[in-house]
Amino acid sequence: MKKQISLMVGLAFAPQAHAQTAQDILKASPESVLTYGMNYSQNRFSQLDKINTTNVRKLVPAWSYSLNNNTGEEAQPIIYDGTAYITSQNKTVALDALTGREIWNTPVEYPPATTRVVCCGIVNRGAAIYEGKLFRTTLDARVIALDIKTGKEVWSVKSGDANDGIAMTGAPIIANGVLITGMAGAEYGSRGYIEAYDPQTGKQLWRFYTVPRPGDKGAESWPDNASNASGGSTWTTGTYDPDMDVVFWGIGNPAPWNPLLRPGDNLYTNAIVALKPKTGEVVWHYQMSPTDPFDHDNITSIITADLTVEGKPTKALIQVARNGFVYILDRTNGKLLSANPYVKVTWAKGVDLETGRPIWTDATKKAMTLTDEIETWPSNSGGTNWFPYSYDPRKQIAYVNTLDFGMKYQPAPIEEIRNLKPGQGHRGVKITKLYNDNARGHLRAIDPFTGKAKWEIPFKSPNWAGTLVTAGGLVFTGTLTGEMIAVDAEQGKIIWSFQTPSGIIGQPVTWEKDGKQYVTVTSGTGGVYVMNTPDPNLKHTPAGGTVFTFKLMED
Amino acid sequence: MRSAFLQLAAVGLLCSTASICNAQATAARGERLYADNCSTCHGEELQNNSTVAFDLRRLKADEHERFVTSVTNGKNTMPSWDGVLSDQDKEDLWAYIRANANDR
Repeated sequence: MKKQISLMVGLAFAPQAHAQTAQDILKASPESVLTYGMNYSQNRFSQLDKINTTNVRKLVPAWSYSLNNNTGEEAQPIIYDGTAYITSQNKTVALDALTGREIWNTPVEYPPATTRVVCCGIVNRGAAIYEGKLFRTTLDARVIALDIKTGKEVWSVKSGDANDGIAMTGAPIIANGVLITGMAGAEYGSRGYIEAYDPQTGKQLWRFYTVPRPGDKGAESWPDNASNASGGSTWTTGTYDPDMDVVFWGIGNPAPWNPLLRPGDNLYTNAIVALKPKTGEVVWHYQMSPTDPFDHDNITSIITADLTVEGKPTKALIQVARNGFVYILDRTNGKLLSANPYVKVTWAKGVDLETGRPIWTDATKKAMTLTDEIETWPSNSGGTNWFPYSYDPRKQIAYVNTLDFGMKYQPAPIEEIRNLKPGQGHRGVKITKLYNDNARGHLRAIDPFTGKAKWEIPFKSPNWAGTLVTAGGLVFTGTLTGEMIAVDAEQGKIIWSFQTPSGIIGQPVTWEKDGKQYVTVTSGTGGVYVMNTPDPNLKHTPAGGTVFTFKLMED
Repeated sequence: MRSAFLQLAAVGLLCSTASICNAQATAARGERLYADNCSTCHGEELQNNSTVAFDLRRLKADEHERFVTSVTNGKNTMPSWDGVLSDQDKEDLWAYIRANANDR
């Protein structure tokens, strides 16, 4: 550790290309995009305003690059020192950020059986970079480090096995010199974890299991002391608070979805857990959806924000949760400060601010004990999903792509879920979605204190892309029919649009080089909604991955 | 494999209402197996946007062997399900697919 610190100091005095440091991430200069969420608060807010509401109509492509892949592109680009780093499920590439020319291209290979336990898109969501290396995960649950200059593999660690239902799709983060990753697989009965590695060597530093075993804290919240408990995957990216030196990570659903054999709160599924990055020690947890039958997988982005709550300055975190409520917590202790619905919610009447627990409706109670069919909102897809929202800390508004559909829901008989083994499908429910084909989704400007929308824009097919908000008064996102759009953040009007060749399920970022602002995003349809969901509006959107970078047209 | 299916069908033909009930039960089980293991790529309730995965409703009555072979060995980007789905699972899936096929 000492060695690492002296190395960091050395770099601070002699900055060199391709040696991005902890200080660089902390500073979060708007010229670069050095971490998932664009900065440590993960608010995807950029100070850049050269592209703004008055000139955005002059935004044109600077370049595009083919990713030669048809399974969907969800990765957030990393931009550092004039280079764009993009991950796809089958490759990692470094591109000249100004021209789009390829610098290196390192393939990712995995056994064909891997995709058997990939529930929700054959994708990857991005990389972390630190001290000359790029870190990413692979579908066959490896964590790998590449030399950022050459793309050559420096180390590769096998974290999990497809036979145990484990895959990896998320972007890692660097927190206090430690590389932290999550995993996927609650749909296949895996036992969830978050783990940390030494970025220099790939040595595992700790692993925190999100689902306990007998004797562990939380074991009493499962039948049989959690002997066989599973679920709680950690497939998106946590948020780091460098002042507190704590990482906040969203935990996924219990397995199987069918709740009949797992009465109890099922910790730490559908919770946020606050962890010390050096040790994995749990500081606090708060559980959004105990005993969840509905796959309300609590993995949506966590944004840190300093707010005034009831007159008091508060270190808060905001989560627009999949269960339909937007939560504000005190991030120093996990105490619930507010929880309000931002979409139609019928599974709970509200959240009790004293106990922090949801107030279940009769239909939800029924779904936890009987095999009757019920109707509930939002659906298992949630009020939103993995695709990150942005938050303007000046206006205290979150820009969220919402999913506006419910479902008919019916648990299968107990016999069908009794003997499930890891690696087998762990749902055990019958679901029929309830769609309004005029607006399966919206882009909403949400007040996190009330859940109410300042404005909303309906979309026939829901947007499955991240959002980005800028000091230029613009919200960027993409549609499943392939339009990259810019919205006036005040008025809620689409004021610019560009048709890319495929649907957009990526995460737009903005950056600056030599005084000019750029916007970069991947196009390439796929992901769970497009693969899984019949949608008449998507018949004419072909697959195929591309990276696009936009700039203002020059005279 | 095929003979197992024929046997199942024959039982269905020969037997009384109780067995028809069994055939429905097998399709119902197949529906849930489908949701757990197949719907991710092949689409909710057998419907997808047909950009990547095969529309299983196009399978014809005489393509049982093709179905079982593809599930067992994998095909194109589809992985093998050998050792994950049992013979009975495959038959239940087939019953569900046939009950919803374009050409019944």
